[in-house]
Amino acid sequence: MDMGEVYMKRLKLLPLILALFMLAALFSSCSGSSKDKPVKITFFNTSAEVNAMFEEMFRRYNEINPNVVIELIPTGIGEGQQEKLQSLYASGNAPTIMNVDPANVIEYSDKLYEFSPEREKWLELMNDGCADAGTFNGKLQGVAYSVQGYGLLYNKRVIDEVFGEGNFDPNSINTRDSLKAFFEKIEAAGIPATMLHGANWSLGGHYLTLSYACQGPATSDGTGFLDKLKEGSIKIEDDPIWQGYMDTLDLLAEYNFNKADPLVADYNKDLQNFAEGKCATLFMGDWSWTVIKDLEGVDTEYGFIPVPWSNNPEDYGNTQVVMVLPKFMAIDKSNNSKEQVQAAVDFLEWMLTDPEGQEFFLQAGFCMPYKNVRKDIKYNSMTESIAQYAAEGRTINLGCFSYITGDAWTQTGNLMLQYLVKAIDRQQLADGINSYWRSVK
Amino acid sequence: MKKAIRKKRNDVGAFFVFMSPSLFAFICVLIIPMLYGFYLTFTDYRPIADTYSFVGLSNYKAVFTDKEFIGQFMKTLGYVFFSTIFSNAVAFMLAYILTSGLRAQNFLRAGFFTPNLIGGIILGYIWKFIFANVVTNIGKRLNYGPLMTSFLTHPDRAILAMIIVTVWQYAGYFMMIYIAGFVGIPRDVIEAAEIDGATGIKKLFRVTIPLMVPSFIICFFISISRGFMAYDLNLALTDGDPYGSTRLASMHIYQKAFQANQYAAGQAEAIILFIVVAVVSVTQVMLTKRFEVES
Repeated sequence: MDMGEVYMKRLKLLPLILALFMLAALFSSCSGSSKDKPVKITFFNTSAEVNAMFEEMFRRYNEINPNVVIELIPTGIGEGQQEKLQSLYASGNAPTIMNVDPANVIEYSDKLYEFSPEREKWLELMNDGCADAGTFNGKLQGVAYSVQGYGLLYNKRVIDEVFGEGNFDPNSINTRDSLKAFFEKIEAAGIPATMLHGANWSLGGHYLTLSYACQGPATSDGTGFLDKLKEGSIKIEDDPIWQGYMDTLDLLAEYNFNKADPLVADYNKDLQNFAEGKCATLFMGDWSWTVIKDLEGVDTEYGFIPVPWSNNPEDYGNTQVVMVLPKFMAIDKSNNSKEQVQAAVDFLEWMLTDPEGQEFFLQAGFCMPYKNVRKDIKYNSMTESIAQYAAEGRTINLGCFSYITGDAWTQTGNLMLQYLVKAIDRQQLADGINSYWRSVK
Repeated sequence: MKKAIRKKRNDVGAFFVFMSPSLFAFICVLIIPMLYGFYLTFTDYRPIADTYSFVGLSNYKAVFTDKEFIGQFMKTLGYVFFSTIFSNAVAFMLAYILTSGLRAQNFLRAGFFTPNLIGGIILGYIWKFIFANVVTNIGKRLNYGPLMTSFLTHPDRAILAMIIVTVWQYAGYFMMIYIAGFVGIPRDVIEAAEIDGATGIKKLFRVTIPLMVPSFIICFFISISRGFMAYDLNLALTDGDPYGSTRLASMHIYQKAFQANQYAAGQAEAIILFIVVAVVSVTQVMLTKRFEVES
């Protein structure tokens, strides 16, 4: 008998095997009591860089709980993630769990499960403020799993070369003038002082949002400010904090490493230049570590300094860096059965508070905002720096960021870019931001 | 009489047997969504909300008062105009040269056609790299100011970059159509013209081009309609950058519908775009058809 015959035989067997499988599937779905009935839930993931981590996690959970099968609905980086979620909802196939931006939790609020601290005891393990951050319009519908932060990143090796090892105190940068003096000293040593990444998400989503968030330490301070902009009862150019941040932006633009061509916005290239020490600072967040850690021949020690907006060290924002919960886990109750919702809640408990579940996140480098995370964990230098600011209580509450939905940061970010290359002046920028917010209902 | 009716019935039956599967698919994936989409433009539909209500023509009113859309639409017109002219001019020249009996003409034909086999997204990323790194590097070597900054960071030059890449992408494709046109011209007509004393340029303009009008119709039609609906290249090459200045009509519609969450308004813009594309391409075909001649 040659191989061809074997192949033919197998081919003939195939339909038979398939038929048997189908029969078995039919029986298995009919039999069994309702108690240990297998539950299948789906997980929509917008953290595209860790699709594989979640898959491993689901496999492990399935080993422990054979009745629960979790299926990943992955998305790609830069793929239309919001659109995919919209189409899942529009076709009545909403995922059970979704790992999404806070803005999505607000958008889908009517369809989401509301967590309750009485029922879900494990929520107590969250760090202070996390429950508040996941509460939108009075309903706790999102639970966070990671903390991120941003500010002015600096390269420790470069700074040490300029100031001498150990002579630089990050706390000394608490006014715009001290930042200017700091930049001048670095430039005098022949190193470009800073870098702006010329993309609308960086300047619109992150930089401009600082001026909203620094209206006050409570989320309502920022959202209240936005509400007034939407009503048209205030103009952004009358706000001293916004003016202050724009003055600081002018300063950053003056010492910008990308000054010759500010809008190239090549993310990998910018990070590479910064990590190689071609410039001393960069306005960015600790998520950049995921790119930098894979680069060859770059520095590994970084820290954050605040972006001061005035010359008064006491002002909120001048000695703080941003700490934000970028993603939330939410559960859909509109398309999913009670059993599925319950299975999802149980899974979230295991994933977020069980040491085994947490380990997946820790190994991937996430900083988890839970009290029972093992204490000996060592993060990268950027995350450590953020964590230190957090421990000292020196963080800017970026809660209002969650309410900046839709195309806000693209549209206002595009205006910021025009201002950066001096295509428009500050008054035109203010007019543009005012009219954008007034057009939002 | 009876026979004729039966034959007709058979014809209709055969028509349905052969056509119905594709007709069914066509109706399901094209006609119904289009009509449904048209219907939604009269509502305030959003995919997230459960209910929607009728708002009459206000979405269309919004389209004509949306300065951004009008500005981007004008840009699209310019893009379509220049990319159509240049891609066809380049394609025609290539076809002319590559039917004149060059040695390596088959190899060259294949070479010029290749860009068309690369998808718009990949093509966009390749050219993004070229504009951002290769061109700027050449500029630095030559110390020539305008080339030292990327083409993609200046609004007008970014549109120019889009046109360059579009021409590069389509010229090879249209070249193939023009080559077919050249080859299809009967030898006897050319010979007759030569005997009558027509030479070089005169032969080209008086004999060859009039006989190739069908090829022009096809190529212009394709480049105009694809130009208006350009999306993948736009997304990969500029993504609307710098600061939203190179967002062409399709990208604006997508952004409006799915990112600004104004689905019905975006759909209304899509309908307007559809009408414009239809009118422009049909007019173009009718106008150029008048130049068609029989050999």
